Amino acid sequence: MAITQAKTIAAQVRADFPILHQEIHGQPLVYLDNAATSQKPIAVLEAIRHYYENDNANVHRGVHTLSSRATDGYEGARDKVAAFVNAASRQEIVYTRNASEAINLVAYAWGSTLRPGDEIVLSVMEHHSNLIPWQLLAQRTGAVLKFVELTETETFNLEQFKSLLSEKTKLVSVVHVSNTLGCINPVQEICAEAHKVGAKVLIDACQSVPHMPIDVQAIDCDWLVASGHKMCAPTGIGFLYGKLDLLRSMPPFLGGGEMIADVFLDHATYADLPHKFEAGTPAIAEAIGLGAAVDYLSAIGMDNIHAYEEELNAHLFRRLREIPEIRVYGPQPQADGSGRAALAAFTAGEVHPHDLSTILDQAGVAIRAGHHCTQPLHRHLKAQSTARASTYFYNTREEIDVFITSLKEAVEFFGDIFG
Amino acid sequence: MTLGNLRDLYQQVILERYKKPKHKGVTHPVHRQQRGHNPSCGDTIEITIQLSESGDRIEDVKFEGEGCAIAMASADLMAEALRGKATDEALSMVQRFQNMMQGNGDFPIEQRKLNVMQGVSQFPVRIKCATLTWHTLKAALEAPTLAKPEAFVSNE
Ligand SMILES: Cc1ncc(COP(=O)(O)O)c(C=O)c1O
Repeated sequence: MAITQAKTIAAQVRADFPILHQEIHGQPLVYLDNAATSQKPIAVLEAIRHYYENDNANVHRGVHTLSSRATDGYEGARDKVAAFVNAASRQEIVYTRNASEAINLVAYAWGSTLRPGDEIVLSVMEHHSNLIPWQLLAQRTGAVLKFVELTETETFNLEQFKSLLSEKTKLVSVVHVSNTLGCINPVQEICAEAHKVGAKVLIDACQSVPHMPIDVQAIDCDWLVASGHKMCAPTGIGFLYGKLDLLRSMPPFLGGGEMIADVFLDHATYADLPHKFEAGTPAIAEAIGLGAAVDYLSAIGMDNIHAYEEELNAHLFRRLREIPEIRVYGPQPQADGSGRAALAAFTAGEVHPHDLSTILDQAGVAIRAGHHCTQPLHRHLKAQSTARASTYFYNTREEIDVFITSLKEAVEFFGDIFG
Repeated sequence: MTLGNLRDLYQQVILERYKKPKHKGVTHPVHRQQRGHNPSCGDTIEITIQLSESGDRIEDVKFEGEGCAIAMASADLMAEALRGKATDEALSMVQRFQNMMQGNGDFPIEQRKLNVMQGVSQFPVRIKCATLTWHTLKAALEAPTLAKPEAFVSNE
């Protein structure tokens, strides 16, 4: 029964994604690079088009009708995002360009309170976006970075994490779902442990918000960041969730229009949340697109999306195991596909990921090859680079089969020579 | 899958050189050396060069590194083609190789082995894999001395 239901999801939604219906090198496109960015449904494209054709004006700046419509669209999308992650207040959602900008916002606006010797706990699996801003902050303030390592099954080492915590720990910033290992980190427990020593916690939810229901109050994180483009929304829009009091206590990040209350020549007072952190004319159409994406995902249901991706995952891993040369990084899923994200970063024996990606592209299959912005993790895993196939709810089992078939062909193509 | 297209890219020679490179290692002595890196994919290469006594001719080139079949085969074929070449001729070969990657021209008969890389020009995203080794070589040759000058002197 689950399977019928599952087939229905991908089958029902594929028509919503025009981009999926094309041929690459004469073969139907199989898009398996969703961890890098997702495709956009017509509903999102239409929302953007509708905005530009009917409502385009600057926000918060005029009393004319278009301005009020633009403002309603922009702020309405914020309500949708707030509800989507179960924020306690719409003021807790700050638009940013992407997750990277959201992390930088926290690193600048909150991070300046750090003193030499204060500790920031990260993990070795962090995306560069959740590493470099903290390196820069450590250089500015003299704070020290500490790293959570991996367990034997290549997951977040919770025990070692606990041993890193002390009264010196001021911040923990960790990824929810690793874009490389696919592991789902115990963020609720991480927050609880960190809070015991008085540390704040930022969760990089780039790879979880698009794929599963997220409740920031249940997680009890202090901040959470995500990028719209990985969840059916356009590029150029992402968001920062932050607890209200904490955001209030943080000084502004960027200065300019929109973020002010009263301006004098030598000083200014700032707008209330969330606008205090949104300087300048924002990405209005993109925010409206994000709102449409949230509506779209919610209509399908994040529980359904998550359940369907687990089924795809079971199929993906079952099929990958047919190829002995393949080594997948991160934990194995349960037989039902649960327990990790529906993506696989892998190496294929002697076939370099880059060559693999070129060969698969000839078969219409789009996968990523490289370090996926997790160079330290790759170094830790002693893999120079990996290939990665990552699914979304519009992918089908048949597509995974095409991927596996061409993967086998590629391994054979190179295998001939390596014999 | 359209393997025909791939056979153009992955010529037998390329696969063989990837599997069994002939010029992997470090020259003795080392007169020039340079690391190259392709940050977008993680490919790395380190070129070492042994020069003639007068310093204007390449005696030997070797490479170390990790990368895809295209990058590694390109390095191996380059090392072979450069042995015995005058340094200014080597620099003009860098230019010729880059032109070939843009689909303009190829190498003359005595260097025709390099022409097996021609198929890469049909795969624009892979051109940087093939050219990494040549860029690295160029930087090594354009350096006036070895980065570690004492090695240059003592090994001579
Ligand atoms: C886990 C993770 N964190 C952060 C990012 C950065 O996202 P963006 O480049 O949209 O800021 C990504 C996406 O590449 C990611 O997968």
